[in-house]
Amino acid sequence: MNGFLHYFLSALDPMSNLGFSRAFPKLMGSALPAWWFEVVLPVAFILAPAAAVWWSYLFRPPLAPAPLGARARQAAPLVSVVTAGRNEAATIGHCIRAALQCGYPNLEFIFVDDNSTDDSIAVAKRAALSIARSRHDTDRLRIFPSPRRNGKASSLNIGIRMARGEFIVIHDADSIIQYGAIQHWLAPFADPQVGGVAANIRVDNSGVNLLTRLQEVEYALKFTLAKVFQAKILLMDVISGMGGIFRADIIHALGGFDTGLGDDRDLSTMLLKQRFRLALSREAVVWTTVPETRHHLWRQRMRWRRNIVKIRVSKHRDMFILGRYGFANAIIALQLATRLLIPVTLLAGLLLAIYGRGFEGAPEIVLTSYWIKVLFLFIRILITREVASTPQLDNFHLIFIYPFYILWLQLPNIYAEWSELFRIGAKHPYVPDHIWEEIPWW
Amino acid sequence: MTASADVEATVVEARRLELLRWIADSGGAISPVAEPNAKHGYEYPAPGGDVANDLAALARQNYLAARFFDRVSLCPKCDGCRLNVREICPACRSAHLASEGLFHHFRCGYVGIPPEFAPDADGGYRCPKCNRSMHHLGTEYDRLGKAYVCRGCGLVSETPPVEAICLACGARSAAENLVSTVAFSYLITSRGAEAVRRGRLLGDDDEPARVADEGVYRRTVILEFLLHQMRRLLSLNEPFSVMLVKQEPSETDPNRSNQAGKHLRRLKGCLRDVDLIGQLADTLYIAVLPRARRRDAEAARRRVETELGPCSPFVLSVSEIRERKDFAAVLAGFVKRSGVE
Repeated sequence: MNGFLHYFLSALDPMSNLGFSRAFPKLMGSALPAWWFEVVLPVAFILAPAAAVWWSYLFRPPLAPAPLGARARQAAPLVSVVTAGRNEAATIGHCIRAALQCGYPNLEFIFVDDNSTDDSIAVAKRAALSIARSRHDTDRLRIFPSPRRNGKASSLNIGIRMARGEFIVIHDADSIIQYGAIQHWLAPFADPQVGGVAANIRVDNSGVNLLTRLQEVEYALKFTLAKVFQAKILLMDVISGMGGIFRADIIHALGGFDTGLGDDRDLSTMLLKQRFRLALSREAVVWTTVPETRHHLWRQRMRWRRNIVKIRVSKHRDMFILGRYGFANAIIALQLATRLLIPVTLLAGLLLAIYGRGFEGAPEIVLTSYWIKVLFLFIRILITREVASTPQLDNFHLIFIYPFYILWLQLPNIYAEWSELFRIGAKHPYVPDHIWEEIPWW
Repeated sequence: MTASADVEATVVEARRLELLRWIADSGGAISPVAEPNAKHGYEYPAPGGDVANDLAALARQNYLAARFFDRVSLCPKCDGCRLNVREICPACRSAHLASEGLFHHFRCGYVGIPPEFAPDADGGYRCPKCNRSMHHLGTEYDRLGKAYVCRGCGLVSETPPVEAICLACGARSAAENLVSTVAFSYLITSRGAEAVRRGRLLGDDDEPARVADEGVYRRTVILEFLLHQMRRLLSLNEPFSVMLVKQEPSETDPNRSNQAGKHLRRLKGCLRDVDLIGQLADTLYIAVLPRARRRDAEAARRRVETELGPCSPFVLSVSEIRERKDFAAVLAGFVKRSGVE
């Protein structure tokens, strides 16, 4: 009986059971390029940045956020929070209340309603009234009901045109500004070269289901850890539309957003081309609501990926030309290449290893590759947790299925890339017809 | 009091009595009329000086009942009413605003005010962002909803703040900082009519507690009783009820109003000895029912309605007062019904 129990338990040891102990030494001792593709490249491009962030965090931890204190309204520059949305009645109230109560004394909120069919405007007005202690409070919310659906970019342009602030926060209607965030958000503008500052995006609804939990892990790695590294080496490439603050004069000079494009990445790239730097404020936390169903998540990712291709490969492809917009911007443009290259090389490395060892060794190699990914992921997630207190500890165990989630997400990404590159199903569903017919094909 | 003060008081009293008499002769009411040169924009068409103060004093002494007529905004600096009220730019405070629709160019998404779009040679406009011409409204560009555009600094605002500039002293004030005063019209009360009949203003001893012989207390007296009940409620937790009796005017039977006294006597006969009836306004009475719960008050109301029959000029409603807010609600209802300030 004891013997059988030992035999049974030994089968539960994942490392030995999945062949890691047998495959890993073989892989390490291999002269095949698989070693480089599977280990060295990911270490260089994925693990090393995380380690660098951790290293800098260990030696120069960020100062504790200064207490907000009572700052005179006159001393604080006016900040305009611009939000555009269509049928956002479920979230806009919370969004407005959070922004108006975020502790910043000189703030106005501009909500451009993109011809909603629900009661978004009434909800927005009620939200402002519910927290108003004086006439000044109600004046801080300004609503522009658009008489026709114009799409997000144009709606944001309306809000930007109405904004009076020295700084403009571009904000999603389902995102929430954390108390005290604006003060921290403004701090990097002390450097006149900084044109925009990204917020630290956190997931508000991570506890809803497995999909949202996985997205929290993904946001922690992609929106927090990666951006901390990019900001450290002054190579940030995008300020997310979920929460970004910009100098108003620059946005006005650029004429706002272009229609038919991913608003955040396009504007960020235009700022970079004007030789402004993008920064990150880790203490400026903005909570966002992530998609809760597969359908919505895929639609979101297809939109993101199509916009990356459209902006990087088509509209702003001159960024790749070394010397035209500066070396740093060329490096930023080349990040796209590494982004496309790394998955391809990983797959190539895997196939080469299988080819070299024979197909009978394929399961061992695939599993070894999987465990290497999990190991790297574990290190990165530990660093992210240490540096930015995200993701939640409850979600650490998801690293075992996270690689599959990322693989699964490649499906909409690949579809979006192909459809954009080869112009299949060209129309973007979120752009109204009358706008789509007029805009150029980037 | 010195002799000169005595003389002055007598003069004021005579003037006010004369004013009361004038109101009584003019139909029992006086309303202000617009007068641009008056300090607060309205004046009372009555002979004599300082009419407004005299009317207010007579209303305080219950010779007149004040009714809301209009609210007048005044300059907080000089108290004048000659104000130029207009929207201003929230940024540069200029009143040079124009209400116009914003242009929205579909191709590049630019949103701006029409003067930013230079006219084209062929009748269109040129977009300042992408420098392309726009010809067809609705397909190439659009006019968004109305907004106020500052001609001074170009700021766009959908609801600009309102500011008043005083034409007398030049002070600029935000609309919410303006001082306001209320202009009242006045109706002569039974006490005022009694003073006119007697030819002198009444002293405290002259004033009976009851309005007439029907056992109906005057307003000030019944309000005292009501406050006393309220104190008992708060101190002894003793709820009570009130019955509001509204006298409805009748178009078909003009004599019905004159029969109110008879009906009031019958109404009082239906109530207990401890219940008190008072007159709050000309056509509004209140019965205070001590220690009566809502159920008992409803029973009393039904009994009164049965007793008075369908020809009754009264509309009755009862409320139980269990806490302070009930009392406030009844008072608010009373103010609403009677229009008394």
